[in-house]
Amino acid sequence: MFEYTIRRILLMIPTGLGITFMVFFILQVAPDGPFERAVKQIKQANMGVGESGMSLSSDVTGDSSELTPELLEKLRMQYGLDKPIFVRYLIWLGIYPKESQSKIIPINTSFRESVDAIKFNTYKEYLLQKHVKVVKDDSNQLLVIETGVGLEFELPDILNSSLKEDFDNQKYFLFKQNYKELPSQNLIKTWYHSDWDIKSFDQESGLITLVKTQFKGIMQGYLGYSEKKGKDVSTLISERLHISAFFGLTSLILGYLICIPLGIWKAIKNGSRFDVVSSIVVFIGYSIPGYILGIVLLVYFGGDYFPLHGWRSPNFEELTLIGKIKDQLHHAFLPIICWMIGSFATLTVLMKNSLLENLSQDYVRTAFAKGLSERRVIFYHAVRNSLIPLATGIGSIIGVLLAGSYLLEKTFGIDGIGLLSFYALIDRDYDIMMGFLAISVTIRLVGNLISDLTYALVDPRIRFK
Amino acid sequence: MNSTVKKSDSIFRKRIKKFKSIKRAYYSILILLACYIFSLAANFFVNSTALCIGYTNNIYDFGEEYVDLNNNKQWDEGESHKDKRRYYYPLFKKIFQNSEYEAKFFGQEYIKGKKKYGKPHYRLLKQQFDNNNNGDFVIMPLYPYDPYEEVLSELDEEFTDKNSNGLWDEGEPFIDNNNNGIQDEYRPPTSPDQYHIMGTDNQGRDVLSRIIYGFKISITFSLTVVFLSYFIGVIIGASLGYFGGKLDLYGLRFIEIYASIPFLFIVMMLASFMRPSIFILAALLTIFSWVGICYYVRGEFYREKSKDYVSAAIAMGQSHWNVMFKHILPNSLTPIITYAPFAIMGNITYLVALDYLGFGLQPPTPSWGELINQAAGNLQNWHLVVFPLIILAITLFLITLISEGFRAAFDPKVHSRLR
Repeated sequence: MFEYTIRRILLMIPTGLGITFMVFFILQVAPDGPFERAVKQIKQANMGVGESGMSLSSDVTGDSSELTPELLEKLRMQYGLDKPIFVRYLIWLGIYPKESQSKIIPINTSFRESVDAIKFNTYKEYLLQKHVKVVKDDSNQLLVIETGVGLEFELPDILNSSLKEDFDNQKYFLFKQNYKELPSQNLIKTWYHSDWDIKSFDQESGLITLVKTQFKGIMQGYLGYSEKKGKDVSTLISERLHISAFFGLTSLILGYLICIPLGIWKAIKNGSRFDVVSSIVVFIGYSIPGYILGIVLLVYFGGDYFPLHGWRSPNFEELTLIGKIKDQLHHAFLPIICWMIGSFATLTVLMKNSLLENLSQDYVRTAFAKGLSERRVIFYHAVRNSLIPLATGIGSIIGVLLAGSYLLEKTFGIDGIGLLSFYALIDRDYDIMMGFLAISVTIRLVGNLISDLTYALVDPRIRFK
Repeated sequence: MNSTVKKSDSIFRKRIKKFKSIKRAYYSILILLACYIFSLAANFFVNSTALCIGYTNNIYDFGEEYVDLNNNKQWDEGESHKDKRRYYYPLFKKIFQNSEYEAKFFGQEYIKGKKKYGKPHYRLLKQQFDNNNNGDFVIMPLYPYDPYEEVLSELDEEFTDKNSNGLWDEGEPFIDNNNNGIQDEYRPPTSPDQYHIMGTDNQGRDVLSRIIYGFKISITFSLTVVFLSYFIGVIIGASLGYFGGKLDLYGLRFIEIYASIPFLFIVMMLASFMRPSIFILAALLTIFSWVGICYYVRGEFYREKSKDYVSAAIAMGQSHWNVMFKHILPNSLTPIITYAPFAIMGNITYLVALDYLGFGLQPPTPSWGELINQAAGNLQNWHLVVFPLIILAITLFLITLISEGFRAAFDPKVHSRLR
């Protein structure tokens, strides 16, 4: 069993890598990506300037809308397109260093780099800066050196004294780090080795491309940054995870609470009028996709009785506790119905069939032969065994539910992960798409594993090898 | 002597008999087949092009009888002639010869004060002929609306534009068709009425005709996907199960990886890049949906291959291909057939979902999901969601019944109830 679990977990690694690489590849080779959109935007902006500025020279406008090769190259670098796809994928994973900053300067000139703006209590805000310079040393090797932080301005005394107290504070990390290497203030004026790397050196023009690299990928817990939303992808997802999880889990629990008794009752009354009628109802429910039911419910009950969209009211925070519960129920009622309807039929029929099968087993016959009451045989012996197939479904269902539903979240305007990734698809926000994919694939794989392990746990007959 | 021995039915025939005895499933499949055949022939029933036109054109045509006043054995200007009614079949001409009559050919020179070019407007032509009452007639299809055409403007009540601003102003005379004293102009979408029994959508196209054509497309689409994915899935699953060994081991690992791809997401992504036609979309779905049947076929082949008849076939020197597809396949039809309704159902719902999200078929293809999306955009238009939902639910319900029937017929597990 242990061995099986380990093997499954090991198999999850190539699975996850395979899926994410496939999607990554498609995204990178697909036309009209963020790079193309950026180029188009710049071209349009240029054209707008050209038309309004020089209305007479129309032939010049055509040229000015074309980007210079240098600018194009810079843009490509900014979007990381100067590397092959496989390297880009490794960067995304966090195995290959990512170029977080880049700069092109002539040799022997220095540039200022802003490090961090720090603020001390009620005092002024200071922008910390350092100088970076590339020189050729005696052996004609290129060498990048930089000054310590804050060379350009006098450090106020207060800064130095409070600095020691705030050493552990994350905010002054860069500040602290630089000072750690600088024991005395005199050393600030000296040059020393920098964390900038030389990427390329153009001998003719004397231009140097400097980059700052760091490992920044999903291995480091960094999912990327959404330009459109102006936030980290991990923030965007964690802000919404609980919303999708709320609907997923609530409907799952409610579904089990309703479907199990219903399935048992249908199995006991197999063939009766109740069984037939409820079967028809359940199958009709099965034939109605949840999101379409959602639209119908919104058409007839939305607005007057239930809110048309949203996860909570905008003034949710101001409400009292009871008001909050009421508001949440009010908003969640229709969505939960639609979330449930999808798994309702499968669960009920599964429960019914599973119980029916168990009722025809020999151990049930034995139990009856012992003279046990029907109630005890069914509920104590048979039902327990019929719950096995349902229990195993939990893992995979959790995987699907947690990952959100584009359809339902779009219908009800609930800002969960599904809607986030849906709009990311439309806006071509690759970072969100990849982040969402990574999260949902992980959830799904773990869910599958859980469901297989539950299977072995609840059913002692099953042994994985 | 041998001929007197009655051969017993094959197991397959027995199953078909069993299936037929399950009445609700049997009737469901008949209804569904009838609907699909009707929808395939929808061009002849739901169309805006006339089936048949009987028209006398008041012009002398060659062969018509005439009074030969000057005995020159030919018709001259001014000689009276007996105008013969001729019959035209525009729909057949359109479908089989891919050409249309000109509007002026039938004397339809103007429509609502505007000159009409190109093909005639047959519904208005019918009105015109009915008004003329000289025996000319137009036979329209059963439901005379196309899924693509804008049908509302012909219902607008005509008015005399005195100040010619293109709009009806207070006091300008108009023809009050429905006698409500108001000059009606129809703005899409409109609710169901006597002309459009399921209303019109937000571009003024008839909903019923879009639903019927959408049915055709949905079923065709899902049948295509199922057929293609069966083709791939059965071959791969059969090879895995039949050859076994390393191929099976690594093949299964690969399929496990493949099956955990969130494929709706990837199809949406690809669709948003490619703007696919219906066949490319079907191919896209196929790429991800062959895995389901592959599992079942593999399992079935794995079980069957150890049976004696397979060894016998191999001993007789049959090729692998023959053993697999002539001997084993007919004996492992159970999963293939019982899985089909689920696959069809799944593909119908996928298509609706993709269309609803806007990643499906390209407009203006008639589709249910697109209608539902319109309703989601404007919740007042109940008819845009309720009617597609009813049709969709009935379709899926019938398929559910069929799948239940298949399962009962092919998987004869009888639950005996004790006590």
